[in-house]
Amino acid sequence: MEEKNDINVHNNDFFKSQHRYGRIFTAICLFVIAMVPVIYCLSAGVMPEWKLILSSWSFILSYLAIGLIEAISFAPLLGVGGQYMSFITGNVSNLKLPCALNAQNILKIKEGTEESEIITTIAVAVSSIVTTIIIAIGLIPLAIFGGDIVKVLEPVTPYVIPAIFGGLGIVLLSKYFKLTIIPLAILLVVCIVTFSLGMDLGQSTMLTVGMVVSLITGFIMYRISRKKEAKKAG
Amino acid sequence: MPKDYASIFIIGAVIALAIIAMSLFYLLRAVKRAKEIGISKDKIKTAITSSALFSIVPSIPIVIGVGIMMSFLGLAIPWIRLTVIGALQYEIIAMDQVEITKMAVITEPMVATALIIMTISIVSGPLFNLFFYEKFKNKLVDLQNNNKRLLDTITGSLLGGILAGLASYIIAAAIFAPKATPNPDAVTVTANGYITLITLAISMAVMLFCGLLIKLFKWKWLENYALPITIIVSIAAAYGLSFVPAFA
Repeated sequence: MEEKNDINVHNNDFFKSQHRYGRIFTAICLFVIAMVPVIYCLSAGVMPEWKLILSSWSFILSYLAIGLIEAISFAPLLGVGGQYMSFITGNVSNLKLPCALNAQNILKIKEGTEESEIITTIAVAVSSIVTTIIIAIGLIPLAIFGGDIVKVLEPVTPYVIPAIFGGLGIVLLSKYFKLTIIPLAILLVVCIVTFSLGMDLGQSTMLTVGMVVSLITGFIMYRISRKKEAKKAG
Repeated sequence: MPKDYASIFIIGAVIALAIIAMSLFYLLRAVKRAKEIGISKDKIKTAITSSALFSIVPSIPIVIGVGIMMSFLGLAIPWIRLTVIGALQYEIIAMDQVEITKMAVITEPMVATALIIMTISIVSGPLFNLFFYEKFKNKLVDLQNNNKRLLDTITGSLLGGILAGLASYIIAAAIFAPKATPNPDAVTVTANGYITLITLAISMAVMLFCGLLIKLFKWKWLENYALPITIIVSIAAAYGLSFVPAFA
């Protein structure tokens, strides 16, 4: 039996093939996703308004940048299979990542191990299947009742993220209190200042800013603890 | 509501099937590998059931998102868009680049234009995975082998950063929301700041209470259900509060 906590196992054939299959599935899914506008234009017999698309360049560039930052930032957290699946199925920060963290927390998995990679992949795969099926089933009442069903359920939609991150926040705070509390304080000040100036930076921007600020403070704390250790040893 | 074409439903079904095939493929491979490296059947079963259970409640707002978008794009396009990369907030901003939500009559060229903008804007993540992710992941593995503590700091910082970014935004937006003038053109329901803060507090309290029960009574079974219970209780509370006249 191989050691499930051995960190060198990432270089084995299993992980190489995880990447290979991930690239194949990503290429297929990207192609099919890109075909949707083409098929729509052919079915409707219309052409898009290219001038409008070109005039949206700043929006497109900013979202391309956010997507890239998210893919890089989530890479250490999602595992190989989880990363490929998450960036095809979406809803990463509000569904796939919390789901993977929940599974890791329940099973008390040590991060950075092959066990953690496997459990994360299982969690993201199951989550993707469940979500895809629920959305497909949801089409039936939407087709029958239309907007009426939306009116009944819509009041809860803005509160799903606080409902997830309140509970998950307790779990993360208990695990990473030192690494979380300083960026939380800094970002709270940033948010209050920007909101009081009438600026709303948006949730996805704050998520990116949060990770950058947290990485900087985490790295400073890491350097300080290394210096303290060196002083003690010296 | 714009016309739905059968061809779009067919390609939507192809995408949904491709996603399920990809997920099943990775699930079966991961389960096989888990057995090879000695992860117990109980652990695998717990990972599957807890993830399935966890995913049900947060998936419902995605269906509601399809319902919100269908009056502008028909039923098939929102279904596809919310089944693949992206999320409701992003899709609404993306489709509104052609001001589709403000139009009295939505034409097919407008839908096509919105669809292209929505599709192009989200491809950077999958493209990164396609061309650079393996190399990047190998660098992370090298870092883990050479300096595990630094990688642990990076991982912890990223998780802490997600929490810090979201929590600070939720709290600050909630504090300022009661003062903000509701936008009559807004496509989605605007959050009430007080309800947001109460939901956040209830979610934290329920999770703490579950943790307490697990410790005091050694209810290990509750570990699997703590977060789903927390989410359901806090969303139910938010739903109830949304009908309280004081929060209207």
